[in-house]
Amino acid sequence: MRIKNAVRAAGIAAFLSMASHAAQVQPPEDVLGELIERNSSDYLTQSEQNIMMMPDNPALWTADEGEALFREERGPNNTSLETCDLGKGPGVVEGVYVELPRYFEDTGRVMDLESRLVYCMTSIQGFSPEDPEVKTRHGSDSDMMKLQTFIASRSSGLPWNPPMDHPLEKAMRDAGEVMFYRRAGTSDFSCATCHTNTSKRIRASVLPNINEPHEWTKAISWPAFRVGQQNVRSSTHRIRGCYWQMRQPQIIPGSDAAIALMSYWTDAARGQPAILPDKKR
Amino acid sequence: MTRNRKLPLLALIAGASLCAAPSLFAAERPSSPVAAYTAMSPEELADYLIFEMEGFDLHAPTQEGGTARDRLEQDRTQKVCSAIARSGAALDRPTAAKISALAEESIQLPEGDIALGDWKKGEQIARSGYGYRMGHRVDDHTGEPPGGNCYACHQLDPNETAHGTVGPSLAGYGRLRGTSDAMLKHTYQIIYNAHLFFPCTTMPRFGHNGTLTQEQIRDVMAYLLDPESPVNQETEQTAQAD
Ligand code: HEC
Ligand code: HEC
Repeated sequence: MRIKNAVRAAGIAAFLSMASHAAQVQPPEDVLGELIERNSSDYLTQSEQNIMMMPDNPALWTADEGEALFREERGPNNTSLETCDLGKGPGVVEGVYVELPRYFEDTGRVMDLESRLVYCMTSIQGFSPEDPEVKTRHGSDSDMMKLQTFIASRSSGLPWNPPMDHPLEKAMRDAGEVMFYRRAGTSDFSCATCHTNTSKRIRASVLPNINEPHEWTKAISWPAFRVGQQNVRSSTHRIRGCYWQMRQPQIIPGSDAAIALMSYWTDAARGQPAILPDKKR
Repeated sequence: MTRNRKLPLLALIAGASLCAAPSLFAAERPSSPVAAYTAMSPEELADYLIFEMEGFDLHAPTQEGGTARDRLEQDRTQKVCSAIARSGAALDRPTAAKISALAEESIQLPEGDIALGDWKKGEQIARSGYGYRMGHRVDDHTGEPPGGNCYACHQLDPNETAHGTVGPSLAGYGRLRGTSDAMLKHTYQIIYNAHLFFPCTTMPRFGHNGTLTQEQIRDVMAYLLDPESPVNQETEQTAQAD
């Protein structure tokens, strides 16, 4: 941030060249390495083995498969996804993920990556929502995880920067904040119960703190290969798991409630570089 | 675009339940959410997305015999403590007193003296995180009884390394504090509804929420307080593996 201000003072041209220099896609292991160098965090360093194995992350294969799928002519309309607008214009993949969720004029909604992909696969490629290509959301072998992992990987190292210009983006973020702090259910849990302290553990797992953006960036860096599950997992899958642990009902993927929560959690990591794809416990 | 003011705390304390009131928007669901969403306060919008837009699977049955919708409805304590945590403000004294009074009202003490139960059963309850989970994998209470999941947040047996740290260590709890009647009552009250002593604590209200029975609470108390319980033994120097 300090660098940015100094540069702004030095003039727009300098700012632009600086910004484009800083905003480069970086391998996830380098992003994590630099974060750990700059910050001391039990959460970031809790699994030495995962850190060491980052370059061999199976999710990198998933991303490659996703790229092929993205460019392949598929579905009833036999078209690729190369005209899909993920927020920065048709076909643009680089840097889109760190700027989601965002408001889309064509649907009048704030959408996350998963719901936007569903939109593109149905409206451009002609798939029906019931087709397995669209409907199967979980597992490294699903089209959805392959595509998400590819698209997200093209934002690795870029700072989270979800837009807040449209009033709906702001409204969704604020509702998501309420949801994050919202206690309910037979255990009185909210997300904040477990994610507003630093270095605390649930059993043996170190919990990320949403108020520490350098921790939270790793927390929300999905897709990630979950070693314990031997599968690449999405944000949606993580949210499902946390609500399950909270003894609260299942949130509907793609619902505005789910997107609101993601708008808040992405905003909370603002400015910190994304680690994509990540490797988690 | 007029934004409603945040609900004053008084209204929250009075238990004004947005979700119970008939929704302004249920009848005419807007095709574009922009106007509707931005007219609501963040609290209203969150409740609207949860209950009116059905952002959760509200109709699923729960283990306690209601529906998912009931699980998501907040009681006063949940509502007030959520709002305070989100505001980042410290809990003010009058609100703390109200939360504590609500807890006091909720606690049903056993008749007569509170006797310790069986620490071995208590240990199982303290270790078990089973119960009340729903959604993609539903806990079946007829197959396995629900536990208290104390280890998720607390150290208890000093030789157990896989313990959480969200709550304070309870290792040596009985050894350090004794087993007077007053201590027994105190511990019972904490497990039943810890908001009595710690308003807006993150510790679940096991008795109030009905997730532990009176007998289970007495078993967990034995695990905490019985001199024979592993919780009250000294650390074995050999068990340092991490
Ligand atoms: C009872 C405690 C608890 C609650 C409540 C809870 N979580 Fe979690 N959460 C965890 C644990 C444990 C992990 C795994 C952390 C690890 O492996 O280091 C986790 C992981 C996460 C992660 C990914 C970090 C990682 O490394 O895996 C995110 C993001 C997250 N939770 C968000 C949420 C949200 C959003 C909510 C509310 C809907 C929530 N959590 C509620 C315990 C909780
Ligand atoms: C979600 C985390 C969580 C769980 C699960 C939990 N507790 Fe707690 N507990 C806490 C916190 C946090 C405190 C500290 C009170 C405060 O300041 O909010 C606490 C305090 C206590 C205390 C009082 C300690 C003292 O110093 O007076 C006792 C006793 C206790 N818990 C017992 C239990 C038992 C028994 C269980 C399981 C049946 C349990 N707790 C489950 C979070 C938890």
